[in-house]
Amino acid sequence: MSIFYFVAFLSIFFALMTIFTKNPVHSVLYLVITFFTFTVHYILLNAQFLAVVNFIVYMGAIMVLFLFVLMLLNLNKDTEPMKSTIVKIMGTVAGMCLLVTFLGAFRVIEVNNEAITPHANIGLVKNLGQVLFKDFLLPFELSSILLLTAMVGAVLLAKKDTNKA
Amino acid sequence: MGAIITLSLLAILVLYLGLYNAKGALLPVTIAGLLLALGFEISLWNTDATPLYNGMVLFDHLALSFSSLCIIVTILIVLLSKEYFKAISDNVAEYYSLILFSVTGALLVCSYHNFAMLFIGIEIMSVALYILVGIRKRDLVSNEASLKYFIMGAFSTGFLLFGITLMYGATVTFDLEGLKQYVIANPQGISPLFYAGILLILVGLCFKIGAAPFHFWTPDVYEGAPILITSYMSTVVKVASFAGFLRLFSTVLVPLNDFWTPVLLTICIITLFVGNISALMQSSFKRMLAYSSIAHAGYMLFAIVSLGADSASGIFTYATAYSLASVTAFGILIIVKRKVGSEQFESFNGLAKTNPLLALLLTIAMLSLAGIPLTAGFIGKFMMFNAVMQDYHIILLVLAAINAVVGVFYYLRVVVNMYFRTQEENSKVLIPLNYQLVFFIAAALTLLIGVYPDFLIQLN
Repeated sequence: MSIFYFVAFLSIFFALMTIFTKNPVHSVLYLVITFFTFTVHYILLNAQFLAVVNFIVYMGAIMVLFLFVLMLLNLNKDTEPMKSTIVKIMGTVAGMCLLVTFLGAFRVIEVNNEAITPHANIGLVKNLGQVLFKDFLLPFELSSILLLTAMVGAVLLAKKDTNKA
Repeated sequence: MGAIITLSLLAILVLYLGLYNAKGALLPVTIAGLLLALGFEISLWNTDATPLYNGMVLFDHLALSFSSLCIIVTILIVLLSKEYFKAISDNVAEYYSLILFSVTGALLVCSYHNFAMLFIGIEIMSVALYILVGIRKRDLVSNEASLKYFIMGAFSTGFLLFGITLMYGATVTFDLEGLKQYVIANPQGISPLFYAGILLILVGLCFKIGAAPFHFWTPDVYEGAPILITSYMSTVVKVASFAGFLRLFSTVLVPLNDFWTPVLLTICIITLFVGNISALMQSSFKRMLAYSSIAHAGYMLFAIVSLGADSASGIFTYATAYSLASVTAFGILIIVKRKVGSEQFESFNGLAKTNPLLALLLTIAMLSLAGIPLTAGFIGKFMMFNAVMQDYHIILLVLAAINAVVGVFYYLRVVVNMYFRTQEENSKVLIPLNYQLVFFIAAALTLLIGVYPDFLIQLN
C-alpha cells in the first residue's frame, strides 16, 4: 500500500509539473514521466498487458511523436500565444466541474465490485490472449480490415501525384 | 457473414486490379461483387437467426433488410461513378476499394450483436469516409471537410466508446442479449453508470446520423466532399447508423424508455427545426440537400421515439424512399454542375425546356423528399407520423407537420426554377446511359413504393 501512495504522489506531482512548466519540451518530458508512473500503477493492479502497452505505445511511440512535432513546429516560449483571461477562467471552471463529477462518481463506487473480483488475473497476457482469440475472435480479425483501410487511405493521401508534375 | 467476407475480399481484389492497371475491369467487378453480396444477404432471409461467433453478429430480418438496402444504394452510386472518379483523381481503384470497405463497415453496423462489433463497424465505415471526403488533394474545401469530419468523427467515437465502457462497467458484458437480461433482471436497481452510458452512446450515435445539436459537421462536410461521396454519406452511412441505433434501442433499452424518451424527443424537435429552417435559407442546392438530410434524420428518429413493432419497417421504408430520392437528386446535380459549373439553384433554370426528362425525374425525387402522395416519401412520412400518433406525442406531431410544410416549400423551389425560369443558354445536355439507368430505377421504385407499399412494409 505504501508503494501505491508513493507512486500516486509522484503521478500527481509530475502531472502538475506538466501543466506548470513554461517550456513545452519540458512539459512533454514531464508527461512521459507521468505515463511511466501510470505504468507502475498498472503493474500494481496486476494488469501486465496494459502496463507493457502503456510503456511501449504511449511512453515510447506517442510521446516521442509529440516531441518531434514540438521540435518541428519550433514552439518555444516566445511563439506561444497568450491565452486571454476569459479562456483561463473557462478552463478552470470546466476542469473543476470534471473534478466534482469524478469525486461524486468515486463516492458511490464499490471497492468489492462483483464484476472485477472473479477476474483478478484478467490483466495477464495469457488470459487476455485467450479472451481475444476465443470470445472476441471475429472483432479481432475484422480489425485487420480497419487497419488495412487506414493504411490504404494514408498511402493514398500522402503519395505524390507522379504524372501531374 | 458471406456478404461481409465477399465485400472484404472484393475490396482487396479491386486494389490488385488497380495495381495491374486493369482500369476497365474495376466497375464490372465491383458491381458483380456487390450483387454477389446481395445474393448472400437474400439467401439468408428464410433461415433462423441466431447470434453467430460467440454472439458477435446476428443476421435477423432487421440486419438483412438494412444490409440489402445499403448494398443496393451502393450499387446505384457506383453505377453513377463511371466517369466521375476519373475526372477528380488518378487513383480510381482506391476509390472503389474504399467505398467497398466502407460498405463492409455499414453491414457490420447493421448486424452487430455485441458492442465490439458496433465499434469496429462504425470505425471501418468512418475511416474509409474520412479519406474519401478528402480525396481531392488540391482542393482546399475538400481538405477542410475531411479534417473537420475526421476530428468530429474521432471525437464522437470517443463518446460512443466511453458510453460502451460505462455500460460494461454496470453490466460486465458487451453482448446485447446480456445487456437485455441485465435491464430486465434489475427493474429498480439499475446502476447510474448504465444511465450515463445510455446518454453517451446516444451522443455518439447522434453524431453519426447527423442529428442536431450534433450536426455541425454535416453541412461543411457534405459541401466539401465530391458529390458522389456526399450522396454515399447521406444515404448508406445514415441507413446503417439508423439500423444500429434501432437495434440497440429495440433490443436493450425498451424497458427504460421513461429515461431516454424526453432526451430523444428534444433531439428530434431541435433536429427538425434546425434542418428545415436552415435548408430554407440556402442558395446552394447541395447545401440545401445537406440540411434536408439533417431534417430527414429528425423524421426517422420518430420511429425510435415511439418504439414499437412497426419501428423497423417504418425506418426501413423511410430510409429506402429517402435514399432513392437522394441518389437521383445528387446524380442530377452532377450532370447540371458539369454543364453549368455551379451548384446554386439558378443553375437549374430552364432545365424543363432543355431536358424535360431530367426535370421530370428531379421533380419526382423532390416530391418524394417532400412527402407528396403517390411517392415513396409519402409512405415513409405517413408511417412515421402514424407511429408518433399512436404514442400520443401530439406536440411532436404538430411541430412535425409544420416542418413538413416548410420542407415542401424549399423542395419545390428547385422545381419552380426548372419549369418557370428561363436561361439564355439553351443547349441540351446528353445524359450518359449509366445515369439514365440509375435514374429510371430510382424513379420507378419511388413510384412503385408510393403506389404499392405493402411489399416493402411486410419485409420487417
